[in-house]
Amino acid sequence: MNSTKALISAALFATVSFAAGCDTQPVKANACIPPQGHDLDVAVSQSKSDLSDVCGFQFNAYLERLMNIAESDPKPANKEKFSEFLLWSNQAGLLSKQQAKSIYNRYFNVKYVSLMGDYNNCSLTCPKQQEVLSNMEQELLDKERGLVKISRDTGSYQRADRLLKETELVLEATCTACGAN
Amino acid sequence: MSTPSKFNLSDSTGVQPFSALVFAWMLLFAIPTQASNTPTLKLFPTTVLEDIRHTGSVAKEMESGLQEVISRLDQQQQLIIDSKCEEADDDPGCAQLNKQLGATYLEMLNIMESNLPTMEQAVETTRKSLAKRLRKELGNGMTPWTLQENLLGGQSGKQASQTRPNLRGRSGMRLSDRFSQYYNLVSNSSSSQGSSMAVIASDIYLDMEETSDLIARTRQEISRATLMGQLNQSFGTITPEMQEVVNGVKGILFGDPESEMPLAAPPTTADSTACQSPLSL
Repeated sequence: MNSTKALISAALFATVSFAAGCDTQPVKANACIPPQGHDLDVAVSQSKSDLSDVCGFQFNAYLERLMNIAESDPKPANKEKFSEFLLWSNQAGLLSKQQAKSIYNRYFNVKYVSLMGDYNNCSLTCPKQQEVLSNMEQELLDKERGLVKISRDTGSYQRADRLLKETELVLEATCTACGAN
Repeated sequence: MSTPSKFNLSDSTGVQPFSALVFAWMLLFAIPTQASNTPTLKLFPTTVLEDIRHTGSVAKEMESGLQEVISRLDQQQQLIIDSKCEEADDDPGCAQLNKQLGATYLEMLNIMESNLPTMEQAVETTRKSLAKRLRKELGNGMTPWTLQENLLGGQSGKQASQTRPNLRGRSGMRLSDRFSQYYNLVSNSSSSQGSSMAVIASDIYLDMEETSDLIARTRQEISRATLMGQLNQSFGTITPEMQEVVNGVKGILFGDPESEMPLAAPPTTADSTACQSPLSL
């Protein structure tokens, strides 16, 4: 009889303790769900809040959502907002400086991060000329999104497009010359 | 900057000695200006410019030798068509016309045979000197990133679009005119920026590669075509193969408008007030 009472008491204590625990650490209903809506500023603010909490592993999903939101209201100022957001991401330890630079320049700069390296073109670029050009073509699609669809900066996009065409021509000639006697 | 344009057969657009002097004079003053703005690209030293000019002169000489014979060939062929000789094999008048056509064809091959080696050598010299400069300046002297910076020329938007030459198609105009245009383009663009020079040098070099290849193939064909022409003289006909050689020669010398490459559209101006991100490379 005594042992039965002791078991009931223990079960009640455990239940109360569990309920009390739920009260002190409530589960977030929207945890790590990228922001909705059409206001980029609000979305950036919410993203920072989530990402600085426990959602850092979802960084790519948040960035993608922010881009979608920005596409619904394209304007030159968006470029600066993404720059600021990526800088914050670096300072918050979500991205390295190099990653932040790479993302920003891939989408919002005329120059190509696919065409980088510390060695000369004959030895570095020419052996993988087609691969480099193919990567640049892919990057141009991202630049179209960042420069045109998000920032409405068609001038910079067309310069990037022209830079790709010129690079194609110059690399074809240079790499032929590198291999010529 | 001169805008590329097409020329017809009657144009006389070769570089005059006086113009050449003017260009050389402009070049002397242009080089320090360029050096002060962008890293100096030595893609077109005087020797390369001279090679381009010389190739243009050789092409012009060959054209003037061939122009008359090719137009005679066209007239004779038209006469045969107008006379409906294709349906009248036994007609003595038609046989005579076909014989004349064959003789003119052989005359054209002889002129080509005697001129092509000089042309080939001139093109080859230009090609090699450009290859050397491209390899040194762009291939071994630059990283991929510095190449991009050079192509962008450190300029933005409107300024770049005003000073940059359009990429040009390499066909559709006479060979000598192409070289004249190259010479003018190089001479005039020296004062603007090194970045355009990389594009122009690449364009000319690739054109030299194609021209060199075409000349080599034409030379190979000439011996065979001469033999065929001599044989056909006995029969008094011009074959489709002979016609193909004539078209090939016309293509090299006077261009092939149908295969002209489209011109690239100039970029529109970028927003100069746009923000400069601290992340920007």
